Amino acid sequence: MIPLLIILLPLVVGVLLYLLPREDVAVSKIAGAVVAAATVGLAIGGRTEEWTWHWFAHPFVANFHFGATFLSHWLVVLLTLCTFGAVVSTKVARTRSMIASLLFLEGTMAGLFLTRDLLVFALFWDAMLLPVFFVLLSWGPHPSIAWRYFLYNFAGGLVLLLAVAAFGALVGTTDVIGNPAYHGLTSGWAPWILAGLAFAFLVKTPVWPFHTWMPATYEGTPSPMVAVVSGVQSKAGLYGFIAISLALFPQYFAREAPVFAVLGVVSLLYGAFIALVQSDIKLVVAYSSLSHLGLVLLAIASLNHLAIEGAVVYIVAHGLFSALLFIVLGYVEEREETRSLGKLGGLGWKNPRLTGAFCVAALAALGLPGLAGFAGELVILIGVYESGYVWAAILALVAIVTASAYFLRLLQGATQGPEVADLPVRPDLTWIEGLALAPLLFALFYFGVYPHALLASGWLHP
Amino acid sequence: MILVALLLPLAGAALCWAFGPRLRGAAGWLATAAVGLSFIAILVAGSGREALFTWMPGFDFGLSLDRLSLLWSVVITGVGCLIHLYSIGYMHGDRGFARFFAYMNFFIFAMLLLVLSDNWVGLLIGWGLVGLASYFLIGYWFDRPSAVAAARKAFVMNVVGDVGMMFAIFLLVANLHTIRMSDAFASAASLSPALLYAICFGLFVGAAAKSAQVPLHTWLPDAMEGPTPVSALIHAATMVTAGVYLVARCAPLWDQSASAQMLVGTIGALTAISAAILGAAQWDIKRILAYSTMSQIGYMIMGVGVGAYAGGIAHFFTHAFFKAQLFLASGIIIHALGNEQDVRLMGGLRKRMPLAFWGILTGVLAISGIPGFSGFFSKDQIVAGALAHGHPYMYAVGIVTAGITAYYMFRLFFITFLGEYRGNVDPASVGITRETTNAAPHEPGDDAHHAPAWIMGLPVALLIIPTVLAGWLLFGSDASPSPWSRFFAPQFAGPATAAVPIPDWLTTAITFAVVLIGIGVAALRYATSAARADAVARLRSESLNMPKVLTHQYYMDALINFVFVRGARLLGAVFGRIVDPFVIDGAVRESATSAQSLGTAVRALQSGLLRAYAFVIAIGAGCFLVYYLVTGLPHR
Repeated sequence: MIPLLIILLPLVVGVLLYLLPREDVAVSKIAGAVVAAATVGLAIGGRTEEWTWHWFAHPFVANFHFGATFLSHWLVVLLTLCTFGAVVSTKVARTRSMIASLLFLEGTMAGLFLTRDLLVFALFWDAMLLPVFFVLLSWGPHPSIAWRYFLYNFAGGLVLLLAVAAFGALVGTTDVIGNPAYHGLTSGWAPWILAGLAFAFLVKTPVWPFHTWMPATYEGTPSPMVAVVSGVQSKAGLYGFIAISLALFPQYFAREAPVFAVLGVVSLLYGAFIALVQSDIKLVVAYSSLSHLGLVLLAIASLNHLAIEGAVVYIVAHGLFSALLFIVLGYVEEREETRSLGKLGGLGWKNPRLTGAFCVAALAALGLPGLAGFAGELVILIGVYESGYVWAAILALVAIVTASAYFLRLLQGATQGPEVADLPVRPDLTWIEGLALAPLLFALFYFGVYPHALLASGWLHP
Repeated sequence: MILVALLLPLAGAALCWAFGPRLRGAAGWLATAAVGLSFIAILVAGSGREALFTWMPGFDFGLSLDRLSLLWSVVITGVGCLIHLYSIGYMHGDRGFARFFAYMNFFIFAMLLLVLSDNWVGLLIGWGLVGLASYFLIGYWFDRPSAVAAARKAFVMNVVGDVGMMFAIFLLVANLHTIRMSDAFASAASLSPALLYAICFGLFVGAAAKSAQVPLHTWLPDAMEGPTPVSALIHAATMVTAGVYLVARCAPLWDQSASAQMLVGTIGALTAISAAILGAAQWDIKRILAYSTMSQIGYMIMGVGVGAYAGGIAHFFTHAFFKAQLFLASGIIIHALGNEQDVRLMGGLRKRMPLAFWGILTGVLAISGIPGFSGFFSKDQIVAGALAHGHPYMYAVGIVTAGITAYYMFRLFFITFLGEYRGNVDPASVGITRETTNAAPHEPGDDAHHAPAWIMGLPVALLIIPTVLAGWLLFGSDASPSPWSRFFAPQFAGPATAAVPIPDWLTTAITFAVVLIGIGVAALRYATSAARADAVARLRSESLNMPKVLTHQYYMDALINFVFVRGARLLGAVFGRIVDPFVIDGAVRESATSAQSLGTAVRALQSGLLRAYAFVIAIGAGCFLVYYLVTGLPHR
């Protein structure tokens, strides 16, 4: 029952928020925070719970079957944590609608991660696009960005749906995610289904060359929403690769793995070099995301046990620091009224607490040893090397050096240097703003010092 | 107890950071006490091994205190404690007093983690965190653009070193399936020579970046942007010697790869002499000391590289004292002269600052290798060791560098302390062409300075003792080995050394003769009564005639900037401004800009945009199709 609750609670409360007056702030924010906090508790506590409702049996079996697997458990914890941070940090016009959208996003993505049925997975895949699409339409600078986001990802979603339908027709059931009894599809159609799935996953992550929707989307989405989109929604594709492509089509995925490894390496370097020359602080982080998630794809494609363990750690770490970064950048933009690195500077003297949080997030993102990103990065690279992708591991090292350069450029550009005279002076972090960051910061430290906590619960699919 | 010693400075850092504004001046004492207690805890622990926890499956963390890490820990916490005490005076009245001590304590924690870890990952974490502490402290006055740039440069160059080490660690962990260093050393013989060389190479990239060895050295002179106690602690006594520690720690790996030893020894020798030459061309007192640090670490690296481990780490030990001494004493001068760092504007300080005079004099005697002073013994061991291990040209470089060292250190000493005080002359008249002085707004000047003088004086006075005497630990002969070589004999079981054509006493004599020549040249140029009387004009002509290649540090900065920094940015610009919009996304970008509103977007959806997306999707699908056609159609 708990998995269903994690999905329905945000969705129902999200709808109920529309009963409030349009200009309401306090009630919707408190309700959203309470729901998000409650789902954090449910996600951590309800790890072993499952819930099934039979949907149809012809032409193939499909069930509303929900329950966390090893990886999805951590993704849901990440989702709920990021949503909590996003809701608490929300400070935009029409707060009520934003909170409702965040709760819709949480509910649909919880459904995506918790479902054990491919068809339900595909449905939630499309559903989770809608809140972001509407937020982009109402808050974004330009509707074309919203359409670009939607069409790109919806195209992926359609291909995914087709692939899932073909899978169901061939296998007779779609209730197969995390099912150890199911041993993979051995049909001539399997590569085509795999290709369909991969297309959707590559677009959503995104991976080069399907990434061009991403910078504008991340730039145009208000920071609370983009924190969740970049922190968690981007992991939907990687989750799909591990839990579906790798688990359900092991031999076919292994055959095509070099392609994904190459795409991963290209994204890794391409994103890193572009991030180096961006002047919009949100775009620096957006392109860094392309780079970092390329590393995770490389890890998955290496098919190495150690690398995939590292990928799990890195997925969680990236979710934490990228959500943190976007929330912090939102705070910075709100205070300085600009996102341009050319205009920013000297925040450190004015807002030391905000700068401290910014600093931790940026250092985690550049892979500082002792914070969560490093643990994943190091173990991924050992595994990738072990699996024989020696050049990929060496090229990844180039990206690590580049990451330190562009994240320091971002951090120093915004917070250091002399105080800029024509920037407004605003108060430092309030305790509510700090509350939004605290759980994410804590998790970054905790999983950095003790990443074993992420893996100690056991491994479902080798 | 080892864990306690490790965590005390971390706790100190956390307290200073969290309660900084409320602690005020007490933060300095708290931090100093944390380091002092850590020093005691290290001595109490003495030796041992402590298992900690499982970091990741198969990655067990632990701490180990053996003779090598004991040496480093004692210097880190001992010298660290004195420099903390000194900083209470030096940083008095600074805007970020507590923040400074939080960073300093954090550095001590990270450095202890580096030397106490018994595994590669713990070492790498410590390695990265000392880099972070160094970044924070170089950029401590972060409203100064030059400090911000120097901090970033130091960090990025150290990340280059970090990824070199990561590369070595992949090779080690993937081939030996263990992260424990002792296990890796035990099974190192099973590695192929090429693999072993690659591992040593990766580790040495890390060592070279951290220890400012050519060509990864350019961050160290810039790092002098940090407060002087930072330069003394991090960029002279401890952190920059981490590379020496790493090579000495991995002696079992190096012992099995002669080519890796050759690489390390050569880089060390090259750094020793090239930095010494640059040191002779500098005017900024801290930069002279920075180049001398580079040069002396070059000696140490050369020593541990050729296999003279006991000599290499002995030079670390003596250098930690005399170089900390030199920095702290010059800090007194800088402090008293209102942040003037240019030696051309000093002169005649002997009477005004007797403590700085004696501090710098003993430091200069020690670093120049005057018999009886600490640096003499350790440098002698390295130079003799290079020959004993069969590297005659490193031996020659070692001797020549000793002469250059004596020259530029005595040059510093003479210009600073002899003659007349030149602080009041027009900077241009001594050949200073820069527009602004180094005086920085945040250096706590004379007005802000109310801390008692003994706080800065005591560490300098105390450091004079080991600066003079520490070398006698190395005094011994083949018949009765020195206490030092007896202590470290079990640590380094390297191959026996060959008989040498030149006896040790002769080596000592040659070196000393060269040192005397260096001192003589410096004395002729700066210390004769004619030179002292004509100091202003002579300094001016020397400044103006300084070779460009030296004032530009052999153009290394420009080269790195042009190839790597500009290269990376160009690549980013090409990807971001050409490939992304025109190659991958041309059609989409065109439609998106043409769509002006939701209405036109919807219209565009029916015409251009949809086609554009269909086009993109078709390309994506087409790629897959082509791929499958190439790799073979699926078959049932």
